[in-house]
Parts: sequence; structure tokens; C-alpha cells
Amino acid sequence: MKKIFLFFIFFYASGFSQAIHQNEVDLFSPANIKKFADYLYCSGDYLRAALEYEKYFSADPNDTVKFKIATAYSKIGKYSKASALFDSFHENSKFFPFARMEFFETLFEEKNYPELRDSISNAGLSNGFIFKEQAKKIYYFSYLYSNESLPSKSDFLSNFSGPDLNQIKYFYDWKNNPPYKSPLLAALFSAVIPGSGKLYAGEIADGVTALLATASLGYLSYTDFKAGHYFRGWLFGGLAAGFYAGNIYGSAAAAQIYNVKIQFDFENSLKVFINSKNCFVPEINFCK
Amino acid sequence: MKLFFLFIFFTVVVSAQTDWQKWGKANYSYALKINNEQRDFSFDSKNTARFVLKSALNSYWFFISDVDGDNCSFSPTCSNFFLQAVRKTNIVQGTLMFFDRFTRDMDIYNKFDHYPEVEDGHFYDPIYLYTLNQKEIKYLPPSVVVKTE
Repeated sequence: MKKIFLFFIFFYASGFSQAIHQNEVDLFSPANIKKFADYLYCSGDYLRAALEYEKYFSADPNDTVKFKIATAYSKIGKYSKASALFDSFHENSKFFPFARMEFFETLFEEKNYPELRDSISNAGLSNGFIFKEQAKKIYYFSYLYSNESLPSKSDFLSNFSGPDLNQIKYFYDWKNNPPYKSPLLAALFSAVIPGSGKLYAGEIADGVTALLATASLGYLSYTDFKAGHYFRGWLFGGLAAGFYAGNIYGSAAAAQIYNVKIQFDFENSLKVFINSKNCFVPEINFCK
Repeated sequence: MKLFFLFIFFTVVVSAQTDWQKWGKANYSYALKINNEQRDFSFDSKNTARFVLKSALNSYWFFISDVDGDNCSFSPTCSNFFLQAVRKTNIVQGTLMFFDRFTRDMDIYNKFDHYPEVEDGHFYDPIYLYTLNQKEIKYLPPSVVVKTE
């Protein structure tokens, strides 16, 4: 009886292991790698998705997968890899116009404005290009970010129309003549009246504090000298001189910080404007 | 029987003790980090002026500031700012930067809308903003919370 039971167990176990073997899945087949990559891509895990797509791409190179790899790299900020891939699409590919626009966007994100304008001039402005209008806008917007000289106002504004024209005029005028404060002038103001340079640079509270500190220490020094307290006179006089000179220096620094701040605000508002106007083509949704 | 239960009881107690030691007790502290703890009291011997300045700063830290407590609202503190400014530039420019910083420190109005805050609640005001090299200035809006290194 025991022998029969053990034989039964043995055959059952071997039969079961056969069954497992028959149902075994090849997780590394190209189809499964693609399925996994699709899952990662749609979950937003773009780095691992790109790596899996690259594995699949070596087995089955096609434009859809290449586009996804490039998009994934672009999403994670690896713009140089993304732009190289977007740039490699052939004109006959159905993805070509989208890839071109994505290529322009990656160059824009990389702040590589000269190459962006060269690329748009070469391919983006031809009549056959379906996103010609968007490309033209990106071309001109890039001038507002770079430090190169702007095209003439009429030439620049002729590419835009509609209700946003006033806003674009404002951006152009700002860039053409930014309302910077002069550090030298701020220092000169503070040399004449302590704290006035800070007021000029927009630091009202600091300016008033500097005036109060210099004036009160100066007054203390004056009264001490008058009363014959020379040590205290020199002490307060020295401190007053320190605050006076420090304020002249600080006014120049405040003007520089003011300039950086308004440049930061300008670039931010420009970025918000560009994003709100859908200048770049909406991305293709592969996860429907 | 009694012996058996005593054995079980002591085994449980001992194993509970072992478990206690194994995981350890977490020492939580909700106190804010104090800037003064990271002070470098070494002497600067690069030149006489810097040696005198560092000695004066060390004395100020030891006899006044550490006794007074963490009262400077800025990070780095005014004395650290002075030291960093002198190291980064020179003694004249560093002194001017310090007087300007001290004016900003005395200003009691509008600090919250003006400076980003460090995680520990101090206002972030680093020296690279004030070296008069515009390329070094990296503007941080007040809404940003700066992580301490």
C-alpha cells in the first residue's frame, strides 16, 4: 500500500512539473519586452521604459518605438539623447512632422537657441510642413530668451496676430529695453543720501534702515566729539562710516539682484504664456 | 508546574528584553537645528589680517554668541557671512558686505516676503548674491524652501 502511494506521489509530481514546463512564459521575448515597456511608459516610469524600448528596438526597429524612446528621454530631461533621436526621423515617416516639432522643443528646453533657429529655417518654415505656423512662432519666441539682438519690431510682430498681440508687444518691448536698474547709479544715490540707492533698487525697508543707522550713529559721533568724549566719538564715527560705505556697496549689489529678479520674472511669465498658447504640438497619446 | 511557569515567564521577559535591544529606541528630537553647532573654531593663518579677524570671530562666538543663543534670523549667520565674505573676496570688500548684511538684519520689515527660508526657519541670504558678480547671482523666489547641506 505504501509503495503504491509513493508511486502515485512520484507520478503526480512529475506530471505536474511537465504541466508547468508547458505553460512557461518567455518573459524576454520581444513581444513581452514591448508589453512591459508599454506598461512602464503609461505608468510614467520613462527611464525604465526607454531602456526596455531600446531592447525591443534592436529586435524590431520601427518609428513608433523610436518616437516613444525619444519622448521618454525628453520627459526625463535627457534632451541631448531625445533631440538626436527626434532628428533621425526620415521625411517619409508618418511621425516626421511631430518628431520635427519635438526636436525643436528639446532644443528650446536645452536653451540651444542658435541651433533651434537654424533647424527651423532649414526645415520648419518650408511650405509643406504642417506645423509651419507653430514653428515660426517658436523661432521668434527664442529671440526673447537669448541674448542676441532682436529682429525689427515690425518684422517680429508680423508673425503674430489676434488678441495676444498686445502681450507679445509687451514682451518685445521688455526684451528690447529691459527696465534694469543701474548699479552705478544706485551706488551714487547712496553716496549722496544714505539709503536712497536701496530705495532706487526697490529695497524700501533696507533703505530706510540704512538711513536711520547712518544718521543716528553719525549724530552720536557728532555729539560725543562736541562733548569731548573722543573715544566714543571715534567709535560711533567709525561705525557710521562703516554703515555708510556698506550701504553704497549694498545698493550696487541690490540693483544687480533687482535686475536678475526681473529677468527671472520675465522668463517665467514668457514660459507660462508660451505653454498656454500651445506653441508646441500636443504630445501623441500612446496610452489610450 | 510552578517551575515550568516560572521558566516560561523568564523566557518571555528575556526575549522581550532582547527584542528591545534589537530594534533600539528611537531618539526623536523636535528641536530646531542650531546653526552655532557647526562652527569652525580653527584659526586662519593665511595672513595677519585674516588671523586677527578669525581670532576676533572665535572670541565673539565663544564668549558672546554661543551664550546668547541662536538669534540671527539669517542663514548663514551674520558672523559666518562676514567670514565667508572675507574668504571669498578680500578683507575690505568682505567688511563692506558685512555692514550691508547688518543693515539688512536690522530691517525688521518685510523679511518673510523677501527671502527664501531654509528648512530650519532661517532666511536664506548667501554671499554669492553680494559679490558684485552678476553671473554668480542665482535668484531664488521667497516661496522656495532651501535644503541645508
